[in-house]
Amino acid sequence: MDASIEVRQLRKTYGPTVAVEGLSFTVAAGQVTGFVGPNGAGKSTTMRVILGLDAPDAGSALVGGRPYRTLPTPLCAVGALLDAGAVHPGRRARDHLLWLAHYAGLPTRRVDEVLELVGLAGAARRRAGGFSLGMRQRLGIAAALLGDPPVLMFDEPVNGLDPEGIVWIRGLLRGFAEQGRAVLVSSHLMGELEGTADHLVVIGRGRLIADTTVRDLVAAASGDRVVLRTADRSGAMSVLANAGATVAATDRDSLTVSGLPAERVVAVLTERGLPFSEVSAHRATLEEAYMELTRDAVEFGAPEVHS
Amino acid sequence: MREFGQVLRGEWTKFRSVRSTVWCVLAAVVLTVLLSSLAASATSTDANTAPRFVDEFSFVHQPLTGDGTVTARVASLAGGHEWAKAGLMIKDGAAQGSPYAAVMVTARHGVRLQSTFDTDVAGNAGTAPRWLRLTRTGSSVTGFESTDGRTWHEVGRRDVDRLPRVAEVGLFVASPLDVQTRKTGAGSNETAMIPTRSTAVFDQIAGDQLDPDAWQRTDVAPTVGPRLGEPGDADGTGQRFTVTGSGDVAGYGIESWIPPGDDDMVRNSLGGVQVGLMAVIALGVLFATSEYKTGTIRATLTASPRRGRVLAAKAVVLGGVVFLAGLVASAAAFVIAQPAMRANGYTPPAYPHLSLVDGPVLRAVVGTALFLALLAVFSLGIGAIRRRTVGALILVVVLVVVPQIVGPVVSLNAELWLGRLTPVAGLAIQQTRERFDSAIAPWAGLGVLSAYAVGAMVFAIVRLRGRDA
Repeated sequence: MDASIEVRQLRKTYGPTVAVEGLSFTVAAGQVTGFVGPNGAGKSTTMRVILGLDAPDAGSALVGGRPYRTLPTPLCAVGALLDAGAVHPGRRARDHLLWLAHYAGLPTRRVDEVLELVGLAGAARRRAGGFSLGMRQRLGIAAALLGDPPVLMFDEPVNGLDPEGIVWIRGLLRGFAEQGRAVLVSSHLMGELEGTADHLVVIGRGRLIADTTVRDLVAAASGDRVVLRTADRSGAMSVLANAGATVAATDRDSLTVSGLPAERVVAVLTERGLPFSEVSAHRATLEEAYMELTRDAVEFGAPEVHS
Repeated sequence: MREFGQVLRGEWTKFRSVRSTVWCVLAAVVLTVLLSSLAASATSTDANTAPRFVDEFSFVHQPLTGDGTVTARVASLAGGHEWAKAGLMIKDGAAQGSPYAAVMVTARHGVRLQSTFDTDVAGNAGTAPRWLRLTRTGSSVTGFESTDGRTWHEVGRRDVDRLPRVAEVGLFVASPLDVQTRKTGAGSNETAMIPTRSTAVFDQIAGDQLDPDAWQRTDVAPTVGPRLGEPGDADGTGQRFTVTGSGDVAGYGIESWIPPGDDDMVRNSLGGVQVGLMAVIALGVLFATSEYKTGTIRATLTASPRRGRVLAAKAVVLGGVVFLAGLVASAAAFVIAQPAMRANGYTPPAYPHLSLVDGPVLRAVVGTALFLALLAVFSLGIGAIRRRTVGALILVVVLVVVPQIVGPVVSLNAELWLGRLTPVAGLAIQQTRERFDSAIAPWAGLGVLSAYAVGAMVFAIVRLRGRDA
């Protein structure tokens, strides 16, 4: 089976609320695709539709080229973690995985393997109700890995994890991609995906905003700006403006220069004997790039407060 | 099919791995057994202190010495009761309970040879007109019947011990009480016993020793205590008599006998089920709603997108477990209740000893387990439709428990119709005696509950398929 998720012209409404509208994207094998958008943007809805839990109003979602509901052994095609809390609190961790394994016709041995893999072997006989959020995330990941599926989907997997857990999960996701699996990870914080995701699908209010690689997105948001730190701000501004640059004061002793490459800025300032302590190419963070993209798409943004 | 087996195994793992379901099963068993034996030891009967026979009829007779034969035609039999009897009898006088043998036609139950209040042999079907013949040879009495007076058919032959050498022989007519029971309030009822009368015309009366002038009529009736019927009458001479009579000649072993106690011992042994079923309802509802409450339903439906299969597997696991637990509970309840009931007066002849392997007992005991299993599946369906525990529980309790409380308070009619139309109808499978308050036949009642269970499951599957999870 080919390891991919294809979403085509997906539309899903809940009563009068349009959750997803005309959404198309592809999750390719061998990389981690970040699925980003503010809370309420439609990420979980899209994932539920992919898993056949919710029926789309229009469009389609295919896993390995087939609708989820037609997969013969779904757990061996897609592993998903939607909600780590969705475990019966009275059931032992091992039993939770065991019933899933039975559903998929997997051997009991596989349950012990995945428990080992996520580091829960010691807690296998404890009831899930007593688990911390981090342990539940691990249990959810174990459930997703049961069928050794070529496609993996995680909805907000680092939510509530301690730093150690976050590092662990990032390594895990990178590892899955390197094994050639298609990995879709959703998050409402772009920063969480920095260094993890190769590809990004950004949505807001149910619509696609960007479908791009991480590198292209950062480059686009950075532009060719140079940050300059100088003691003689007004001198530098006039000299650089004469040289054809657009200059903006950003701070008491720093300027943002665009229209001139960094080498030219250094040359012009040296020629005129003006002092400067730092010249650097500006590089936007992924978070900034994302803020830029989704500024209009934040549905429940905090109101601006003037103090 | 292999996939269904996998889902089945998964659902079984779910079922056994949560403590609350295991507790529910245990509670159902313990409550059923405990309350059944409590209820059994709280009921008692004095049916065996009541008379064990009835000996009341209109008798036109004369003495017969030694062996002899009497023949007569019952030309007509009119009025009264389905068990109205008219025929020839030989009896040791008019004393209550004295030995007798009689060949007779009945209004609706054919020709019969009955003797000594305990044996009943059926002849051909049909009623008057019919020729009858009674022959005494020593202590042996033989009854014959004929439709034309020429071709005779032997109905049967009985030995009547203690029949004296000189016994009374003649014509008799009896017509039993019409028993009507009605409910007068919650848990209390009133039994009306209405006497009936029947009139038979006898002709072509013949016998080797008969003296046409020696006939006399006696109202055989209790000498102490009230009469059950009314005085009879006779009119005629020699070879033709019109006889009117009321009452019956019967006892344990004769079909027309109305025993003094009509308690359904089997049903009373299994009464605890009405409390145990609450745990079963909770179990069924929770097996569906806990999936929604905990969110496990999403994992379930991702693991098996064939949603109908999931619910079907749940029904099989739940129904199977509850059936087995119910079988243990009802068999134990029955066995434990028997000694307690015996101690409270439920003994032969009014209440014969019962064994688990008697047909009706087996039906009631296994049927009780089936009832609980079907009720569990019905609750599962409602749980899957409603998705919320409290709402589903209230709905099932309203349908199952409330009719049992409300019905008896309103009227017998309300009780009977609720017992036919609500899932409670399934409890009819415990009936082993047809009583005035029997709402529906055993298997038909279980059929009503099955319809509820299947209906709820089908609706639940349609809803589960059509809705977002």
